[in-house]
Amino acid sequence: MSGHSTWPEWVYVGVVIALLCYVGAEAWNIERIVEHVPEDAEIIKVTGQQWIWTFEHEDGTKEIGELHVERGKAYKFEITSKDVIHSFNIHDYVVLLDAVPGRVNTVWFSPTEAGEFDIQCREYCGLIHYNMRGTLIVEEKGA
Amino acid sequence: MKVIIGLGAILGLLFVLPAAEQVFAAGSEVGEYLDRKAAIWGLFYRLMIVAFTVGTVVSGLIVWLVLRFRESNPKAKPTSYEAAGSW
Repeated sequence: MSGHSTWPEWVYVGVVIALLCYVGAEAWNIERIVEHVPEDAEIIKVTGQQWIWTFEHEDGTKEIGELHVERGKAYKFEITSKDVIHSFNIHDYVVLLDAVPGRVNTVWFSPTEAGEFDIQCREYCGLIHYNMRGTLIVEEKGA
Repeated sequence: MKVIIGLGAILGLLFVLPAAEQVFAAGSEVGEYLDRKAAIWGLFYRLMIVAFTVGTVVSGLIVWLVLRFRESNPKAKPTSYEAAGSW
């Protein structure tokens, strides 16, 4: 089967390589940007345990099941667990990270809209997993 | 062949260079926070465009191949070795 034209194959290979480069570069770039925590981000310690979320602000204020933050500020979550593996999720802000016993995982976000948003566990963690919820309350500055 | 490889390289660079430029330019703003939702969903939509475009082209090509080269196609003709009965 020799002697036939091979240019379509080469074009195909070129297009595939170009697309793979584009997909890889885009994904790598967004991941790099998303993981870059702003220096002035306020740290909030998040602890998951069957079946509640507790939060501790930098000033020592603690909250259970509710988290109050200000719109337009950056927050860095330090997430851990007291018992089994949970997963901390704020769906509306695309925050999702496992809470693992003995380990601190970090993720940051900056709320852009005031209002109330769901916090939920996204890793099956036992009988009441379905109800391991919380509320993110985003307030205007100075409210 | 050189023309084809050169063309492939140019096509590759056309995709790679803008992405690389974006990479080195990003993250230099001060006091502005990233809208995580927009960044992640934006990436998702861009990659979906690539995925669905590739999916459409590949499946279209397969459908065309199957229809064009089916035995019952009036345009079908045997390959040289089939015609010679040499396989």
